[in-house]
Amino acid sequence: MNATDQTVLHHVVALLVSWELMAPAVTLGCIGVPALIGRPLPERLTTRLVGAGFTTGFLAALATLTMLAQRGFAPEIVHLGTMFSVGHHAATVDLVADGLSIPYVCFTTGLCALVNAFAGKYLHREPGFTRFFILLTLFGTGMNLMVLAGSIDVLFAGWEFIGISSTLLIGFFHERRNAVNAALRAFGTYRICDVGLLTAGVVVHRAVGSGDFEQLFSGVWPDGRCLVPATTALIVSLLLVFAALGKSAQVPFSGWLPRAMEGPTPSSAIFYGALSIHAGAYLLLRCEPLLDAAPLSRWLLVAIGIGTALHAAVVGSVQTDLKSMLAYASMTQAGIILAEIGMGLRVVALVHVISHAILRSLQILRSPSAMHDRHELAAALGGHPGQSRWSLIRLLPDAVVRGLYQVALERGFEESVVQRWIVRPVVAVLEAASAAERRWVGFIGAEPAADVPPRPDRDGGAS
Amino acid sequence: MAISTEQRAELERTIAAAARFLPAQGPIDAFVAQNTLQGFEDQPFEEAVVRAAWLYESQPFLPESSYRTELSRGRIRIVDLDAVLTAELGPRAAETLAGGRVTLAQLHRALLLHPVRQESDAAVRWTLTESDVIERLRGDLPPHVRHRLLATAGGEREAASDLWHACVEASSRSRPSVIYPTPPVRHRDLILAADPTLDTDALVHPLLIRMVAAFLDQGVAAWPMPGRERGMLHALAGVYGSGVALLEPWSQDVPMRLRRAVAPNAGSGIDVIAAELETLGVPADAWPDYVTRSLVALRGWASMVRQLELRPDRAPVNRLPACLADFLATRLILDRAAVEWASQRLGHPLAATGQRGVNVSGHRLAALWTELRDRYPPQRGAGSLARAFLLHQVSQLLGLTAADIRAQDDNEALSLESAITAFDSITRRRLFHLAYERHHRVEVLDALAAQTPAPAPRLPLVQSVFCIDDRCESMRRHLEEAEPDVETFGTAGFFAVPMYYRGLDDWHAIPLCPIVMRPSHTVTEVPHDDELPHHRFRQSLRRMLGRLRGTVSSGSTTLFRGGVLTALGGAVAAIPLVARVAFPRLASLAARRAADLARRPMNTLLTLERRGEALLSDGTRAGFDVDEMVAIVRRLLEDVGLTSGFARLVAVIGHGSTSLNNPHESAYDCGACGGGRGGPNARAFALMANDSAVRHRLAATGLAIPDSTVFVGGLLDTCTSRVTWFDTERIPASHADDMRRFRASCVAAGALDAQERCRRFDSVPLDISPAEALRRVEERSCDLAQVRPEYGHASNAVCIVGRRRLTRNLFLDRRAFLVSYDPDSDADGSILERTLAAVGPVSSGINLAYLFSRVDPIGYGAGSKLPHNIAGLIGVMDGQASDLRTGLPLQGVEIHEPVRLLMVIDAAPERIMAVLERLPAVRALVVNRWIQLVAWQPHSHSLYVHGSGGFGPYVPESAVIPVVSKSASWYRGRRDHLAPARIALPPPLATPGRNTAP
Repeated sequence: MNATDQTVLHHVVALLVSWELMAPAVTLGCIGVPALIGRPLPERLTTRLVGAGFTTGFLAALATLTMLAQRGFAPEIVHLGTMFSVGHHAATVDLVADGLSIPYVCFTTGLCALVNAFAGKYLHREPGFTRFFILLTLFGTGMNLMVLAGSIDVLFAGWEFIGISSTLLIGFFHERRNAVNAALRAFGTYRICDVGLLTAGVVVHRAVGSGDFEQLFSGVWPDGRCLVPATTALIVSLLLVFAALGKSAQVPFSGWLPRAMEGPTPSSAIFYGALSIHAGAYLLLRCEPLLDAAPLSRWLLVAIGIGTALHAAVVGSVQTDLKSMLAYASMTQAGIILAEIGMGLRVVALVHVISHAILRSLQILRSPSAMHDRHELAAALGGHPGQSRWSLIRLLPDAVVRGLYQVALERGFEESVVQRWIVRPVVAVLEAASAAERRWVGFIGAEPAADVPPRPDRDGGAS
Repeated sequence: MAISTEQRAELERTIAAAARFLPAQGPIDAFVAQNTLQGFEDQPFEEAVVRAAWLYESQPFLPESSYRTELSRGRIRIVDLDAVLTAELGPRAAETLAGGRVTLAQLHRALLLHPVRQESDAAVRWTLTESDVIERLRGDLPPHVRHRLLATAGGEREAASDLWHACVEASSRSRPSVIYPTPPVRHRDLILAADPTLDTDALVHPLLIRMVAAFLDQGVAAWPMPGRERGMLHALAGVYGSGVALLEPWSQDVPMRLRRAVAPNAGSGIDVIAAELETLGVPADAWPDYVTRSLVALRGWASMVRQLELRPDRAPVNRLPACLADFLATRLILDRAAVEWASQRLGHPLAATGQRGVNVSGHRLAALWTELRDRYPPQRGAGSLARAFLLHQVSQLLGLTAADIRAQDDNEALSLESAITAFDSITRRRLFHLAYERHHRVEVLDALAAQTPAPAPRLPLVQSVFCIDDRCESMRRHLEEAEPDVETFGTAGFFAVPMYYRGLDDWHAIPLCPIVMRPSHTVTEVPHDDELPHHRFRQSLRRMLGRLRGTVSSGSTTLFRGGVLTALGGAVAAIPLVARVAFPRLASLAARRAADLARRPMNTLLTLERRGEALLSDGTRAGFDVDEMVAIVRRLLEDVGLTSGFARLVAVIGHGSTSLNNPHESAYDCGACGGGRGGPNARAFALMANDSAVRHRLAATGLAIPDSTVFVGGLLDTCTSRVTWFDTERIPASHADDMRRFRASCVAAGALDAQERCRRFDSVPLDISPAEALRRVEERSCDLAQVRPEYGHASNAVCIVGRRRLTRNLFLDRRAFLVSYDPDSDADGSILERTLAAVGPVSSGINLAYLFSRVDPIGYGAGSKLPHNIAGLIGVMDGQASDLRTGLPLQGVEIHEPVRLLMVIDAAPERIMAVLERLPAVRALVVNRWIQLVAWQPHSHSLYVHGSGGFGPYVPESAVIPVVSKSASWYRGRRDHLAPARIALPPPLATPGRNTAP
């Protein structure tokens, strides 16, 4: 292949990759702007536009995939521009097309296209119809931004889009208190863990003078080499692990996931079965070479991953509603996947992510069929399959079994621990601050605004 | 604490009485639509809905704005409102107000026709500063009123402002009213009133939901609750009292109290309830209310416990020792813990730690209860500014000028004001609702009054018996339209065959009969003898595939197997994912083809004849003996009035509905089969009626079925509009042609039925062809993403009990339950009696379930389907921790018009009254106006409407009803509910060569 061919190829790839990113963004504009001026598009047009966006994005990703495959997945950097640069310091907007990002984009846009087709019918006549698709395209944009990111700054931007669209979709039925509480819970967890990613960005910029990944590691995925000193690698990788824990619902940040099943079924499927939950895994896969240089982070990751998987498997086995059961099943696999990454099994982890996401979204999408499926299964087996999977447990003494069951039913007491040791101290500090401020305002002489109490509702949500 | 036997019996009665107010809804796989307000049936409808709204914190009627929309689009007419007002006010209509310038009727009429803004003082103050509304007259004033208002003033501005000042003066003469409402009994409500941030239910419910869901689970969790076979309290005490106790601060004492509740000296759940109520400090006379409200607070789960207690045989998988008293005891234990915690926050410290002596705690909680009730805030009426603002609007509507207002003395001002406040939102909505119902009633009764009975087909080629279901109306009509020689009948869709039925592919027998009956016979579907080897092969193949599927679906949620499965095989799921979502119809077709390859359809038999007299394990007998079959066949044929003039072919067609991804699937099945499918009943009935021994015995008792008549059973899928036939290989060669022809007619009628149904779906174009419509409805039934596979009973409004001849040429828009009944062959009213006993509660139950789910989709209905989440295989929750949602989902009722069932009976009023005297349950529904009853005098064809003073003659408003050549020309291109229309049928073709009548 000569140099001209190389340039042409580079330009074609650049074009395709830009479209993969732009496709959901453009549809977001197409349906968002009319909604903003109070004239939302008709349902059919909305789904068609969004479908066209994701489908063309998917086709572009497939084309990129074939092109890259011919060249052994050597990474292509697409430079979109520079946000600012001061001396040696620059924040660039780079995308990267390589053996990790392009298969992942194929998968995310493809899945988004399917969920769009599903939701078009599922949400028919729903008052929040347009809102759902705006959030879906916002999510698609964020997802592709994160996946294609060639620098930690771009990745952070995508990460935040994912976070906010997740939150708003959990709280999609905002007239219900449970949904809003669950959304706030997820949002809080996300914000806390986002601190890790943000700090990592700052550290990276400080260490290498830009956020570009090519300054941090080099080589063809999955065989990257770390380019920064071990200490930097350790600090950054620990921060990234911290960031990943929130999005991927790992212990001790896992409590939000089962509560997140409050939105419409298709959004639960795509977010908490498939894409959002694996964002942490993707982040770590992307920055895997850093882990190479930081064994401590690796071991930490393995420990947390396995711990989460055990926790979720036990808790999941006593859940009595379909969506919670599936949430814990996802959490189990997310834990295993993080452990795989910790062990350095990069390709296995990538395959596991995609494979698991597909299976789980199918399961969540058809979760309302559970009754049907169980009866069919019982008919085939000539009786209900029984609930005795935990036969090993019968060997334990009775009191231990009951204690373990209580722990599982109470979801490992994660809730009360977080409430008691994290939320309450923070709330106490904030309340003290607020009281102080009120006194101060009173002292100055202004009239403090009266608190408006929330109206209680029937489904009596957890607070 | 031990209580005496009398106290225990009293408390048990209290709980049973409270349980009447729980929704009567069992596990969701056998959904039967019943009156949502069954506990209120002994009260008049209009009062009951208001009381129920107070108990359930729900809505008694639609919002006023919905009625106003209906008013503006003509669905409610002004004549309807006037008629309703006249009836409501009676002699009070002429009472005068404002010194004789207006009547009460005028005031009410003005307030119904024109919306007025009723706002708080603050809102009015804002309105006054931000807009010039008091300086203008309303835009919706009739010209003469406007003219009168302007006559004495300089201009609009002067008239309006002057009136405003007059109104301010008038309202400042009286003080705002203060109402001291009866304080609530539950601690939770009292605490919430004292501190709106302290909701003890928000603490208790998540934990209680986890507990009861784990106890009732039918197989979602891989690990069932240990010890639950000993009952809920024991299981919970075992699990939560196991020594691990890191609960939230408020629930620290719960494990200890649960353990104490099951201690040997604690007694049963009833004793625990008594002890908890004592400790909570509730005086004994408040117990009934306290118990009711405590149960209603989480009514979905409470009702499921109750239903499984009453009917353990309806549990989908596991029979459990469910007991409402245990549930209530648990609830009260949690409630007390939360109340104690909340009382500390309120500044009523109880002993903070350590063992709390029952007496100390009880004493303090009693003091808390009394004090909170004393402190319960009174409701203040509107302030003077708000009242002036209201008066300003009303005066304009009534044409009262400033001078008129000022001319009132104190008493007059007061009575005008109280007349305005008395005509409150609930009253207005009630009157709107009555007017809404009235228009529908008039439309239907006018059409019926104008009916001339269609001539009966003299020589019917086929007679077909359907379920009374409103969805069968269109199928029957299209059949009759296309085939004038087809005669149809309607009867409850279990066809008088109550049975437990186990199909060839079922794992257990399910009851197929109305929910109030318990069958005493079991019928099993078995393979034909020739097919046994194939059946065995097929079964082993299914078992193998089933195991594989079970391994994948349950394994994918586990740790090790799940890891391997998802990592290695998960991507295979991409095939069904893409296929099911992008090409639902092809995917389901392919799946069905694949299944057929593995198990080709085979001939089966029903074990219908009695084999041995031994009782089966569930206390039923296998099969029916000849006497029972004779009784069944006779009963059904008499019911529908088919005792002579049999056609060559008599089809008996049950119904059911197939849809995917729909937890409420069984809500679309046959209510008369207890939320099951009526196919097996139809098949069994046809087999019985074809049995020569049965026919012989029938002939001996005077009901002769000619040898030339053949019965055949079928099943109509109301979602796909297709009919499946049973035992067609047994039809004699002589009748093969008749069958072939009738089958073809049913296919054609099914396509038209699909077309008629499709007009209701917003997402289907209106100009669709019958063939395309058939494709669309098929796709809906197998599409994972479709939340509206069909609209179920969403159009029900009418029930006509009578001869089909009277309505055969009437387009009823799938809105009518059609029950066949022939008054001429019912000399003593016994047939009417048994027909009404079955049809009255069933049809009105469906009607009221839809009515209430539509009126308040959140409070009474199941809310939107989109966040639904199957819990324990017995119900659905919103999201992951809510009450079980009872009632019908929003997507199933969105097009429903909430009107009470208009039941028209083809019988003389005196006959109906006599029959009702023997049916107290139906009589109560009629007398308390849960049903609108009309008598259709058989020979004079005049109508009599049942009112407070018995039946009164109906005077039609209009004698003109639309006439169309066929159904399609009336419904094509229109989405909404349609008024009845007469179809100008061609005269039936008499085929002289045939001789079918005996």
